Amino acid sequence: MKHFIFIAFVLLLFSCRKEVKLKLPDYKQKVVVEASIETNGYAVVFLSYSVPYFGDFDYTAPEKTFIKGAFVTVTDGTTTDTLKELDPNTGYAYLGFKLKGQQGRNYTLKVTVDGKTFETNTNILNPAKLDSLYFKGEEDTLGFIWQTFSEPPGSGDCYRWYAKRLGRDQFYAAPFASVFEDKFIDGKTFDFSYDRGPQPNEIQEYREDPERGYYKRGDTVVVKFCKIGRREYDFWNTYYQNKASNSNPFSAPSNIKSMFEGNQDVFGAFVGYAPFYDTIIIPKN
Amino acid sequence: MRYYIILVILLFFGTLHCQNFSVGGSIKDGTNGETVIGATILLKEINKATSTNQYGFFSIAAPKGKYTVIISYIGYKTIIQELELDKNTTLNISLSLAETNLNEVEITTKRGNENVKNTQMSSVQLDMAEIKKIPAFMGEVDILKTIQLLPGVKNAGDGNTGFYVRGGGPDQNLILLDEAPIYNASHLLGFFSVFNGDAIKNVNLIKGGMPAQYGGRLSSVLDISMKDGNNQHFQVEGGIGVIASRLTIQGPIVKDKGSFIISGRRTYVDVLAKPWIERSDFKGTSYFFYDLNAKFNYIINEKNRIFLSGYYGRDKFIFTDEEGGFKTKIPWGNASGCLRWNHVFNSKLFSNTSAVFTNYDFSFGATQDDFEVIIKSGITDYNLKYDLNFFPNSRHTIKTGVNYIFHVFVPTSVSAKQGSTEFDLGKTIKLYSHDAAIYVSDDWEVTQKFKLNAGLRFGNFTQVGPFNRYVKDFTGKITDTVSYRTNEIVANYNGLEPRFSARYSLTKTASLKASYARNFQYIHLASISSVSLPTDVWMPCTEVIKPQQSNQYAIGFFKNFKDNIFETSVEVYYKTMSNQIDYKEGAQPADNVFDNPDNAFTFGKGWAYGAEFFVKKNVGKFTGWIGYTLSWTWRQFKEINYGEKFLAKYDRRHDASVVLTYDASKQWNFGMIWVYGSGNRGTLPNGFFLYEGSLSNDYGLRNSYQFIPYHRMDLNVTFSPDRTKKLEKRKQILIAKYKEEGKDTLNVVVTKKWAKNFSNSFTLSVFNVYNRYNPYFIYLTREGDFTKGTLKVGAKQVSLFPILPSLTWNFKF
Repeated sequence: MKHFIFIAFVLLLFSCRKEVKLKLPDYKQKVVVEASIETNGYAVVFLSYSVPYFGDFDYTAPEKTFIKGAFVTVTDGTTTDTLKELDPNTGYAYLGFKLKGQQGRNYTLKVTVDGKTFETNTNILNPAKLDSLYFKGEEDTLGFIWQTFSEPPGSGDCYRWYAKRLGRDQFYAAPFASVFEDKFIDGKTFDFSYDRGPQPNEIQEYREDPERGYYKRGDTVVVKFCKIGRREYDFWNTYYQNKASNSNPFSAPSNIKSMFEGNQDVFGAFVGYAPFYDTIIIPKN
Repeated sequence: MRYYIILVILLFFGTLHCQNFSVGGSIKDGTNGETVIGATILLKEINKATSTNQYGFFSIAAPKGKYTVIISYIGYKTIIQELELDKNTTLNISLSLAETNLNEVEITTKRGNENVKNTQMSSVQLDMAEIKKIPAFMGEVDILKTIQLLPGVKNAGDGNTGFYVRGGGPDQNLILLDEAPIYNASHLLGFFSVFNGDAIKNVNLIKGGMPAQYGGRLSSVLDISMKDGNNQHFQVEGGIGVIASRLTIQGPIVKDKGSFIISGRRTYVDVLAKPWIERSDFKGTSYFFYDLNAKFNYIINEKNRIFLSGYYGRDKFIFTDEEGGFKTKIPWGNASGCLRWNHVFNSKLFSNTSAVFTNYDFSFGATQDDFEVIIKSGITDYNLKYDLNFFPNSRHTIKTGVNYIFHVFVPTSVSAKQGSTEFDLGKTIKLYSHDAAIYVSDDWEVTQKFKLNAGLRFGNFTQVGPFNRYVKDFTGKITDTVSYRTNEIVANYNGLEPRFSARYSLTKTASLKASYARNFQYIHLASISSVSLPTDVWMPCTEVIKPQQSNQYAIGFFKNFKDNIFETSVEVYYKTMSNQIDYKEGAQPADNVFDNPDNAFTFGKGWAYGAEFFVKKNVGKFTGWIGYTLSWTWRQFKEINYGEKFLAKYDRRHDASVVLTYDASKQWNFGMIWVYGSGNRGTLPNGFFLYEGSLSNDYGLRNSYQFIPYHRMDLNVTFSPDRTKKLEKRKQILIAKYKEEGKDTLNVVVTKKWAKNFSNSFTLSVFNVYNRYNPYFIYLTREGDFTKGTLKVGAKQVSLFPILPSLTWNFKF
């Protein structure tokens, strides 16, 4: 499909583009919920408002999108954890401290903002193990982490992949299109690799990083391979499709499948991750 | 049901009550033997008229008596003939071209008032000569672009030949090339249509009140007839243009009996632009298309004629990145063939039998080093048709027939290999279906003033095995696989399609018409993108996909002025459509491995209404038309846009077109078109949000953004050098020379015969004269870092074509 863009580009040799002023329909800001819980971890929730294009929003003040003073709870049915704002002056990040994620359990998230309460839930599944990790060089000292994976039989499994360079990265980073399902590979053993993803707080720096996408010889890398549910996979998969389509006329406008189904005031996901960790020390040569 | 049976009985037996004699036969162009479609045959004494059908055949019945038969067709000399009708009579007529003295044209080529008198409404017939006068994009005469200038027919902007009729989608048009359905009628993402103007004789568009002989599509019929080939003498015709060149050869196989025509066209941008492309960022990119049309026909005797016609066209896009070891080849195209037999039983009964093959396929092949992937999709039809036209008496014309199509669909199939290792991606998925229909219709002149066309069509569609249905639970897990054996019925649908149209004459030159038509469509085109692409996938009805159904109501007022020089009409329509298909939000065309493509679809309904105004001037130095449409087109899907109704992408509140041609002299012709349309609708991101540190778009409601209006003017001027003066001058010189040499001056050979017949013309076309930047698409841009407060947003509009002049040289001998 994307290759048709080539043809379009040939046509665009004739074409012209110009800056235009758009009058978009009125936009109602939505509450954006970025929430997760993982095995042995507390719930983490980021809350912000979406921003209109060409509205009167002041783009030099991004902190205005951060939601302060929201009431956020996560419950497993017996214990309820009321999350605390990391910094009440800025809002945005809300952390749990009472309820740790456990395999096989279901969690319900409730967020109350501006008097409205939004609710969704997730499961932490049983993790799937990677067989082994290895490094394959691409350019000079740079290359990718490969893993051999024996996918457990039984279709419908979904995964998300993260990695972190010890001593170099603050967070586990997920690259573009970091989710996959077992549709083609159910019960098979195969090798796969991903690019190195950006640190969530260093997107701009990542663009200019000479090692962008790669791991380097000498790095110690921890791979966090998570099993996720189908709804959670659908969210991430449509999230990446949305990023890929970005106004491309040759693809359909791609709406993300929010896990707050049917509610137009809120948007986002609450993802239960069941991680499996493995570490590789990439030899210097 | 009982009502329908009564209707059918009435149609048949209601016709037997009075005894008349009939006169029937065929009308031809005497200069080349081509049958003439739409010529008018008038019995003057009783003011009764008919016109030739798509095979040039007519029949008209009248009581015993003496009649003056007047046969006329625009651009030809009117023939007036006395006829003693005392038995059923055959009348075959050859027309000759009218004198080209333009002042006489108006007198010699009286236009009939068929548009006012017949029951068919919402239809336009265009002659190829008419189409060729209109300015064409890059000089390539284009039928599809021309019909988009008619009211009720819309395009979707530059870069799209998919057309939209009265709120219907581009898959709802039945495009027939010599009876073979063409599934993808455009080249190069819609910039050119697959129909080579030199090989085409006639174009007939029906956008409402579809007669019962047509079926299988909801919105329109575009019936295109290829030329039969000159059965008088050999003729070569061609043209050299900026984008493509054309060559057509036609001639008799046996004079007056059989003829052939072969016509080809190929683009050469790939060759011409190569030096520039190789130095640009598009290095390694190549694209071309070609078309071949061929037709043979043979008149066995007065009663039997056979035709064999075929079309083959391909687009090919190639991209090679030698350094990266990446290569992709994307060929796509149509192939069709049709064998037809016209049989005239007698002057009252005419039959046509056709065997038709048609195929559309698309393939995408890519190799990266030793990894190779091929994606294929397509559709193939094997089609048998039998049609009978029966003219029992002066008041009835009965048409009946049967049609059977065997469809083979390949929705999307993927195969891949690395070196010698083939990947197991399942077998090529093919879907098989039987598509059968039977119809009957009667065009019945109830009284002098009131004429009714009543028809009924019955269709049956059956999907058969081999087929696997993968049953999934809500998590996407396959819980069951239902396998169907070869020929086992998977899904079966049928439906009755009543069709009515009626005309009530107010005066000799004015009438009121009304129509109602129900149509079923058993195949669907699923389009993922906002423009129609060759990758769009044809899907049959399955047990998940139900047949599309439409009901259309239309009324119209038709009036001709000044002896039929001006035709005018106003039509109002209302149409409902059910079981419309679209991809679910976020769905992508999938590989169909352990999946059924119909799982990605969602179903909804549509409705459209509007009014169309049309004024056409057919004869004189100035000809052309003005059309205006006011319309609304809605869609509603449970799973799209939160279930709320939304305006379709090609909803067009105002749509206007002006087409003018001016024949200044034998040498100079001018043409102009101007089009205006309210902007398309689209879905743009209205907002954005921060997630995992990066920004993503939040799209607004479906089609909530309206683009700026589309408008454009094109001009052309054609100069045809007058060679007679030149030849006369040469003759005088030769005579003088012969005289000097004392030779006989009676047999002066000025030039060879072919050169004597040689004519040529130069056409300069200018597309988008006032250089309007019409939007092709709009995208939003974000620069800077949002979290650091340095973000800047903007919007860019991409327009395809600025002002584009082009020059074409056409020749004929």
